[in-house]
Amino acid sequence: MNAFVLALRFARRELRSGLSGFRIFFACLVLGVAAIAGVGSLSQAFLTGLSDQGRVILGGDISVGLVHREATAPELAFLKARGHVSEITSMRAMAYAIKNGVEAERQLIELKAVDSAYPLYGSVSIAPKQSLASALACASGTCGALVEQTLLYRLHAKAGGIIRIGTQNFRIAGVLTNEPDRLSGGFALGPHVMVSREGLSRTGLVTLGSLINYTYRVAMPASASIVKFRSDAVAQFPDAGWEINDRSKAAPGLSRFVDELTMFLTLVGLTALAVGGVGASQAVSAFLDRKRSEIATLKSLGATGGFIFLVFLLQVMIIAVAAVVVGLIVGAALPFAVAASYGNSIPIPARYTAYPDALILAALFGLLSAAAFAIPPLARAREIAPASIFRDIASPASARGRWPYLAISAFAALLVLALALVLSPSPVFAVEFLGSVAGGLIVLRLCAAGLRWTLRRLPRPHRPGLRLALANLTRPGAATTGVVVALGLGLTLLTAVTLIDGTISDQVQGDLPQTAPSFFFVDIQPNQTAAFDKIVSRARTATDYKRTPMIRGRITALNGVPSAKAKVASEAKWAISGDRGITYAAALPKGTDIVEGKWWPANYQGPTQISFDEDLAKPMGLKLGDSLTLNVLGREMTGKITSFRNVDFSNGQQNFILILSPGVIDKAPHSFLATVRVAPAEEEPLYRAVTDRFPNISTVRVKDVIGDVNNLIQQLGDGMRLASLITILAGLLVLAGAIAAGNRARLYDSTVLKVLGATRAQIVAIYAMEYGLIGALTGILALGAGTFAARIVAVRVLQVDFSFDWGTAFLTVVGGGAATLLFGLGGAWAALAAKPAQTLRNP
Amino acid sequence: MHSPLIVLENVHLTLASAAGPVNILSGVSLSVDAGETVALLGPSGSGKSSLLMVAAGLEAPTSGRVLISGQDLTRMGEDALARFRRGQIGIVFQSFHLIPTMTALENVAVPLELLGAPDAFDRAKTELEAVGLAARIDHYPSQLSGGEQQRVALARAVAPGPKVLFADEPTGNLDGATGAEVADLLFALHARSRTVLFLVTHEEELAKRCGRLVRLKDGHVVADERVTPVT
Repeated sequence: MNAFVLALRFARRELRSGLSGFRIFFACLVLGVAAIAGVGSLSQAFLTGLSDQGRVILGGDISVGLVHREATAPELAFLKARGHVSEITSMRAMAYAIKNGVEAERQLIELKAVDSAYPLYGSVSIAPKQSLASALACASGTCGALVEQTLLYRLHAKAGGIIRIGTQNFRIAGVLTNEPDRLSGGFALGPHVMVSREGLSRTGLVTLGSLINYTYRVAMPASASIVKFRSDAVAQFPDAGWEINDRSKAAPGLSRFVDELTMFLTLVGLTALAVGGVGASQAVSAFLDRKRSEIATLKSLGATGGFIFLVFLLQVMIIAVAAVVVGLIVGAALPFAVAASYGNSIPIPARYTAYPDALILAALFGLLSAAAFAIPPLARAREIAPASIFRDIASPASARGRWPYLAISAFAALLVLALALVLSPSPVFAVEFLGSVAGGLIVLRLCAAGLRWTLRRLPRPHRPGLRLALANLTRPGAATTGVVVALGLGLTLLTAVTLIDGTISDQVQGDLPQTAPSFFFVDIQPNQTAAFDKIVSRARTATDYKRTPMIRGRITALNGVPSAKAKVASEAKWAISGDRGITYAAALPKGTDIVEGKWWPANYQGPTQISFDEDLAKPMGLKLGDSLTLNVLGREMTGKITSFRNVDFSNGQQNFILILSPGVIDKAPHSFLATVRVAPAEEEPLYRAVTDRFPNISTVRVKDVIGDVNNLIQQLGDGMRLASLITILAGLLVLAGAIAAGNRARLYDSTVLKVLGATRAQIVAIYAMEYGLIGALTGILALGAGTFAARIVAVRVLQVDFSFDWGTAFLTVVGGGAATLLFGLGGAWAALAAKPAQTLRNP
Repeated sequence: MHSPLIVLENVHLTLASAAGPVNILSGVSLSVDAGETVALLGPSGSGKSSLLMVAAGLEAPTSGRVLISGQDLTRMGEDALARFRRGQIGIVFQSFHLIPTMTALENVAVPLELLGAPDAFDRAKTELEAVGLAARIDHYPSQLSGGEQQRVALARAVAPGPKVLFADEPTGNLDGATGAEVADLLFALHARSRTVLFLVTHEEELAKRCGRLVRLKDGHVVADERVTPVT
């Protein structure tokens, strides 16, 4: 009979005794697989939803974006020849509530002007119900406007009230309850307001050089090719400088965010699998230790080592398959659970169904991890000598197992790693994360060994309880290593995530308000600068006032290679994916840090020179002397990079990745951006003064934006902490397993202690000391490792000052100690409750 | 030419221990002919069980040679020894060593299955009937008495028709009456199959049922006498 079939038969017989000894192995695998399958399924649900709703979110099959200028007649004709076109104009503006005929409360808004063709796909919902055309119609000097509910709260206004935008009064016709293309709009600094194109033209805000986005959506016939549209557009209007998006990537930023969040959560799931793997390895070792006599018997009956390995590998993998199936069921159910619990409150469209790809991936991760962690102990079991049936000769646990088996285990682990890397949108991050996890596992194991070594060499305390507690931590088969490694890794991750979150929050709440300006003023027209400067100068506490020319443009080529084809690393893609703010300066602006090259000479008017952000140089493959081509207002201009600057985006001040030499760019119509810092008491008067005088200038209160960003960080931080809890849960399972494995020894110990006269309270005190000590020591280790990891992320990746949070430190150490204590005492309960005579009769 | 079935030549066995190396066997030489019944006697720690392990190929001697049917066991690797044992050697242990997750029938079938016998279960059933356990074939070891477990172990040992049957204190874990039943069965099975019976025991009465008594002390053979078995 085939050895495999025979081994399968033997494995099946073994499995009749149930999951005994494999519960922790099973639970760890279920948890890890369920986490990865759930995250993958949910992510697919969102990405599929975004893709399904692509044309609705984008507002058309194709969207063509221009900044500062409208499409020319030939460009518009090109678009109209390819489908039904809808024209959208959007900008930031100030809205004023008109009360008793005068301007009262005011608020920065995201203004969108739509034509009669809008929306090409999907529908607008308005409360109270009415048609879009009638809601936005203009009559007798007033036009209609639809606003988000938030605006009504902020302006203390009601539907039917009047708001002024620019020079035009609008009647609030209703509340926008659904704007189908909202997700493609990007980060909003204020509530959305929708008006008609005619309404916008009456505001007086549309002037050359104003920061206005013109978007043309095209609904194409089903047979039309998007690829052909793109190639025709580039061929016929190579210098248009337009940004073309299509329905397949309607909200690229959002898709990228979902992708990156998925990657992080998948890596957390893999960490849970790694933590669980430690438990699985221990469970398999303990199981095989119990089977030693059986394995030796089989060998004495003629079974070879290879056959023994196969029998037990099959058993482990059958259990692993069962655990994976349960994990997949739980993971696959997650999208449905989310749909049932949150459904309509999630702002991203989703298609909640089962996603086989995500499930297959999770199954692969689960099975490969199970194999990677189970094979080493199985390989050791293969070496059990048949003579051990008679006496306990050389301990099999100390043998390593033969190298081919260890190589297979390493190969399975490498496959997990490779799979994670291939599927990751950011392989570098994935390598660093998984490398840290692997490093963490090794370091914790070494720490555990060091801890045992040290404890063994400590002088024996006089108190018998403490002496016994210390001895318990170092005796053979003690749970010390398991607890330190399993719980330590989860606590390390939680500490790192919490400290990073705290550092970012501190940056936003603490450091940023110290350095950031109070206001950003956008779209100051050249003829307004003198009057604007005067108003600001009246503020007594005004400091760091900075007014800079600004124009938006796109980087269209790097050294003559079109941006789309240029080799640009993913972390720098944002710089070429849309329009960016560009400024010019004759003299080196104050505080500018040139790290390479030279600033242009004073009064320079020659060919355009560029001072570029040094952080982008490497990922974009740029060096001094290279050229960049920019498209500004539909015209291409090429300049040479003559210097690289250190641009610090973390201070919240004006920052431009591109500063150009004057001579060409300053001739283009442009507006100014200003920032100023004033004392809190002067914020409101300055806000009023500017907005009273200049209705066209958009005024952004930095305090409000910081509040919004902080909320977002808080929510993300909460989510990541929740995800880290999965690894803690895996760690606790392993902890429970490690403690359960020592229960027989506990039972014997407590029996002997009782026989010698110890009370149950005394025995509990010994266990409490033992588990509390190891838990707290694990907490301290995790705190050290987590702080180290968080510090690296803060200083190297986020480039901010690391801030240590004593609360987190305290919680980690106490939490680690408490969890271990709780599980330890829970596990020892049976030992305490057992009657000594019973144990002595059946040792 | 006459050639013995088992030959042990100057066998030494030294094991490592925390207190230093321990000499278990010190130059044991022995040869056993086909069909012989040999009782290995000696006080605790004399090396009886170790000699059985070495002879059965369960443990490699530190030096010396062990031959069964002319094949040198000391030249074989662990897997080769396992394959050799399949058809040649049957072992009965003091603690039975049945596999707790398998029924009596499955336990007896294991060596036959490993041997690749297509009729493993039929033969296993026959052997169980022969030891009087026809009604217990689907019982697990935990559902059997000690005597019944040892009878299953006996059936398992003889099922593949080995040339040598090693028994290590087969009645050591049983009460007197049950031990006597198992001993009767052991010798009955030997009489049926005419295998070599290599019996480790400290019971003189049981040893006297063998045709040869080998006495061990401190790892040396101190006496080797052929006697008339007591039936």
